[in-house]
Amino acid sequence: MRIAVLLVLGNVWALLAADTNLDRPVLEKARELGRERSRFLKETRTKPETNIAVPKANLAFFRERIGPVLKQNCIGCHGPRKSEGRLRVDKLNADLLTGPDVDRWREIYRVLSNSEMPPKDEPAYELADADRGRVVDWLTDELNKASLLRRNNVQHSSFRRMTKYEYDYALQDLLGLPYQLAGRLPPETASEDGFKNSSQMLQMSAMQFQFYREIGLKALKRATVHGARPEPVRYVISMQEEMDNASSGNKAKTFDKNDEDYRKNRTRPHLLHRETGQGIHFSGGNALPRSDAVAGHTPAVSPVVLVMPRSSELKMNLDRFLPDEGTMRVRIRAGRSTTKDTEFASLRLVFSAHTSNDARFSEVISQRDIPVTEPVEQSQFVDFDIPLSDIQRNPFRKLETTFPRRDEFLHIRNVSNAKNQEEEPLSVLVDYIEIIAPFYEQWPPKTHTRIFFESENASDEEVYGREVLAKFARRAWRRAITSQEVDRLMALFARYRPEFATFEEAMLEVLATVLAAPEFLYLTQKASADHLDAPATIRDVELASRLSFFLWSSIPDDELLGLAAQEQLKEPKVLAAQVKRMLADPRSRRFSENFVQQWLGLDALNSVTHITDKALRRAVQEEPIAFFTEVLEHDRSVMDFVHSDYAVINERLAAHYQIPGVYGPHFRKVPIAVAANRGGILAGAGVLAMNSDGKDSNPLKRGVWMLERFLHDPPPPPPADVPEVDLTDPEILKMTLKERIADHRNKPACASCHARIDPWGIAFENYDALGVYRTHVNEKLVDANSQLFNNQELAGMNGLKRYLLMDRQDQFASALVHKMTAYALGRPLSFADHAAINGITVQFRKRGDRLGDLVRLIIGSELFHAK
Amino acid sequence: MDSHKVSLTRRNFLYGSGIALSLPQFEAFAAAESKLPDAPKRFVSIYHPDGVGLPLKADPAWEDWSWFPRGGERDFKLTKVLDVLEPLRSEITIYSGLSHPAARQVHGHSNADQYLTAAATGSHGPYKNSISVDQVIAAHSGDLTRHASLVMSTNGGIGGPRGAQTQSFNREGRPIPALNKPKQIFDMLFVTSGKDAAAKLARSKSALDYLIASTRSLGQELSLRDQRTLQQYLDAVRDTEVKLAKAQKWVDTAPPKVDTANLKLEADPTEARDYFQTMYELIYLAFLSDSTRVATFQLGRENGEGPHDLLSLAVGLGKAHGLTHDVKKPDGWKNLGTYNRYQAEEFGRFVQKLKDTPEPTGQGNMLDNTFAMHGSASSSFHLSRNYPIISAGGKNLGFNNGRWLKFGTGNEDNQVNAGIVTDAGWRGRIEAEELPLAQLFVTILQRLGVETDSFAGYTGTLSRV
Repeated sequence: MRIAVLLVLGNVWALLAADTNLDRPVLEKARELGRERSRFLKETRTKPETNIAVPKANLAFFRERIGPVLKQNCIGCHGPRKSEGRLRVDKLNADLLTGPDVDRWREIYRVLSNSEMPPKDEPAYELADADRGRVVDWLTDELNKASLLRRNNVQHSSFRRMTKYEYDYALQDLLGLPYQLAGRLPPETASEDGFKNSSQMLQMSAMQFQFYREIGLKALKRATVHGARPEPVRYVISMQEEMDNASSGNKAKTFDKNDEDYRKNRTRPHLLHRETGQGIHFSGGNALPRSDAVAGHTPAVSPVVLVMPRSSELKMNLDRFLPDEGTMRVRIRAGRSTTKDTEFASLRLVFSAHTSNDARFSEVISQRDIPVTEPVEQSQFVDFDIPLSDIQRNPFRKLETTFPRRDEFLHIRNVSNAKNQEEEPLSVLVDYIEIIAPFYEQWPPKTHTRIFFESENASDEEVYGREVLAKFARRAWRRAITSQEVDRLMALFARYRPEFATFEEAMLEVLATVLAAPEFLYLTQKASADHLDAPATIRDVELASRLSFFLWSSIPDDELLGLAAQEQLKEPKVLAAQVKRMLADPRSRRFSENFVQQWLGLDALNSVTHITDKALRRAVQEEPIAFFTEVLEHDRSVMDFVHSDYAVINERLAAHYQIPGVYGPHFRKVPIAVAANRGGILAGAGVLAMNSDGKDSNPLKRGVWMLERFLHDPPPPPPADVPEVDLTDPEILKMTLKERIADHRNKPACASCHARIDPWGIAFENYDALGVYRTHVNEKLVDANSQLFNNQELAGMNGLKRYLLMDRQDQFASALVHKMTAYALGRPLSFADHAAINGITVQFRKRGDRLGDLVRLIIGSELFHAK
Repeated sequence: MDSHKVSLTRRNFLYGSGIALSLPQFEAFAAAESKLPDAPKRFVSIYHPDGVGLPLKADPAWEDWSWFPRGGERDFKLTKVLDVLEPLRSEITIYSGLSHPAARQVHGHSNADQYLTAAATGSHGPYKNSISVDQVIAAHSGDLTRHASLVMSTNGGIGGPRGAQTQSFNREGRPIPALNKPKQIFDMLFVTSGKDAAAKLARSKSALDYLIASTRSLGQELSLRDQRTLQQYLDAVRDTEVKLAKAQKWVDTAPPKVDTANLKLEADPTEARDYFQTMYELIYLAFLSDSTRVATFQLGRENGEGPHDLLSLAVGLGKAHGLTHDVKKPDGWKNLGTYNRYQAEEFGRFVQKLKDTPEPTGQGNMLDNTFAMHGSASSSFHLSRNYPIISAGGKNLGFNNGRWLKFGTGNEDNQVNAGIVTDAGWRGRIEAEELPLAQLFVTILQRLGVETDSFAGYTGTLSRV
């Protein structure tokens, strides 16, 4: 049987070599055959033993082959006779894994790999290339094992503080404020695995503690209100009125829609009477608050509209009357001029001021563009809510004098893919705009009544105070609150109360303290009282938090807390239903976003400067997240990350990939041909661009990325003081990049590491620094063929994918299990976790590698329930 | 909230922030505290907008009214613009060939914002700044004095993006409002009692007590390993407590008594000399009483009418910004030079006063322990290159004065882009190579005791300084 399989495989390899046009079936076939090779699928035990042996020092090889070389070439100066640099090579312990001399060995590694030793003026001790290579190789392996051992021997706890982004989401969810609140906190550092939520990296400092307290109080003040409902400022911009004003003057230049030259006029924003066809240019003006306007009033649809062609904007001067704080609601009644399904239009808001010559600013203030979907006959209101205290305002707006200028401008922009050369290109038609600030859906707002809810005890500060605190602290601390805890908080309240005019003000100070407490800031797991360090399972309430931080990057909601309080959450059926609910909730987008960004290291895109097109930059950042979301939502196989016969792209990215027929800014699944040279994560422009050096591809970066992120087989770190490739050497300048790399790799000191890295990266060579597919560089044919150190040939991207699918499915599956489990637990994994990881991987592979299964298996695993 | 004074000092942070503390600089100075020697190390920066006059050599005005000196490093000769500083020659250093690279092709009007920050604040679109060098020093030594820093300008407040009216920006790049009323500054420095602050501090203290108690009880329920993690939190709270105690100390200590003989606290910019001298006197008194060791003062705002125009009007000239435009009118270069000369004269008066005052702790005079700089983010006509910078003092900090330090190459005689008189000039091609001013900031930071080798992403110090 086994032989038969091998024979089949042999045939496939022949086929692969023979005809690359059959790539698509070949990749599918490779995936099927590769699956059959899985050792995990053959595993019959439910708890397989770990086959990742704890590494051991290779002392035998040292005695036979390394020791003699050192004795011959080093001991003369670093031995019993002389000990230059106080180094005695003969006294070093050759066990780098457990011995005390690893730092000295690292130094020896450095001087040997850089050819600094033995000194050039000591010909007697000259080291042959082969010997040098052998010592460096041995040291590389031993140092690598030593570092692996050091990393993996320590058992880490999942007890950790929230990350910056988790803290932000937690505050938003707790208070019901949909805005970023924690921008002031310092950014987190990623662990060696790339994760920001890794317990050992999440430190706490006095500075941070003070930020938490400030941010908490500020957010509480934003969520609550006092006094009577403030009278809002209201602006109304009616296109009918604007038309009346604009066409009243005797210099008004009107035109007719039916005229010949309308084509000329229609590319600029203009007012148009849809019935008479009369038009006039209009791109903005002044607006003043109107006392007669009724907020939320919806006048009849007017025949007069503002026609906004693609990329045009309406710029309204709102003078200086917008309040300092609160939400600005901008309501724009808009419809589409045409309904062609290949054309899209969205609205975006920009805010600006121009206070004096060369002192100006403008910034996009809408969190996302809102599409205009309905035809003009069924115009709909597009509503934007803008937090006025978060945006850059004109600081001079309160001046008594008129200079520097005090006014503020709101721009409404049409972001569209309409083709202006078309007979009738899509425009956005707006007939009515209303601006209300501060805008409140209701009074007092929900964010207020979440904290200060209605109660029959509201007049009794002592009783009501306890109610408010118990409810708030339960949600913030994610567990039941004891009455002693409420007592302590009430004692604090009693101390504050005399200093404040109202109950609420004093209470907010106490609530801010609740938010600065470790019970809020940390994901706790309490030890059972009797045996403090015994491994055990976490309690239901702790499971609720672990779940919500995994899938929502935030605190659990009332449903999860309720189930946990009744100790039902661990019931497999209940748990499964909750996971299903959580994945269906919009908050699960945070899981896709944060896990994918950290798993793939997409932060690196932030420092890429060679993507100058903003829309492209946003698109390449989003693509891997959208791809992951697609695979998760449809519970597809994670082997799609290696290769898929579809891409998840939007119009901008489709243009970049030269895939026709994709319209609009939203991401969707698009079937692609093999000739598109895309599919999967590896061929995505973001990953390719961030592993480039700005001008060109960078095979080394791409290789390292592949090993670290995708295969979880990180190469050893580069030695200190690596000699730079000498670009002043004319011989080197003449070489192609691949030749240069080969030249570097051929140096004995560099060979061992680079042989493990470069071939992976060279397979990506058909993609340039922007991830565009190419066949030539400087008129030379791109050579993307490489050979792995195990002599496996990789022929470009498809060859790489083929090889991964044929031979590395287990490794990739296991890598992904490892990465996602580390993320789910919020801690680095250790040797002790490998058996459990293997167990998950076996079940994951057996069930068909589906991404949703992986999430469920991790949540159901012992690891996830353990302390 | 009273935004006009909120951020002037740490104490005022306390006023505005409820039980929440705004003491973000804590870590930096906690570490450094024990190392600081007895003599205070001070920093002050004066900024003036609109640059200086740089006529071409062929212009008859070049001889007298070109800002930069002539000659070599030691044997330089000052023109009429700076000759008022001749008596202080051995105490000053003049720099040329320095600028912030990110702003070299941005209109000078937009650039007061980045003079002390070196950030790429740009000319349009979204605006983002970063911490200014004075605030890095304030974060380092601000805990040693009642006020971490003193931020002043003639126009007051923060100004607008790319139209700053303050030189100081906090750790998050937000502008720190500048004070512009002498009376208000005086009261803040020498009169204000700490009643409100005391109440705030007491509240913070209660919150910290509560948190320490509840953290301890949480700790009892954790494994030993997790207790060690929680210890970090407890340490953070304790550090904050120590900090509060120090703040309490200042609240409990009466403000210093100072000699008010030279103060005209009601002066406003219409009485330019009085106003200007009073503002300098306030910096001097703040330093003398060791109320702060860091001060910034922005004289006017770039391109704008405002109080600073009154300064130039008061010395018999036209509006400040207009002077730069009118250089080709009769006496144009002379008028601009005269205005700059007047600024130099007042700076010189302040420097002389520091020099004449023995350091209260006994190490030389006050000037020897103070690095005072004076400059602008444009040289000739809105051109954001070759900043005209003078520094004074700092002998005990390692500064060696009496020199003209020319940096960069290709502009040894300061003629590149000289003589431009149109608004297009600032866009011109970059022909001379200049060094990043941020490298001077790194030198300053190191000599004032901040351990760093970079500022705003620029690494390394300036040689020869």
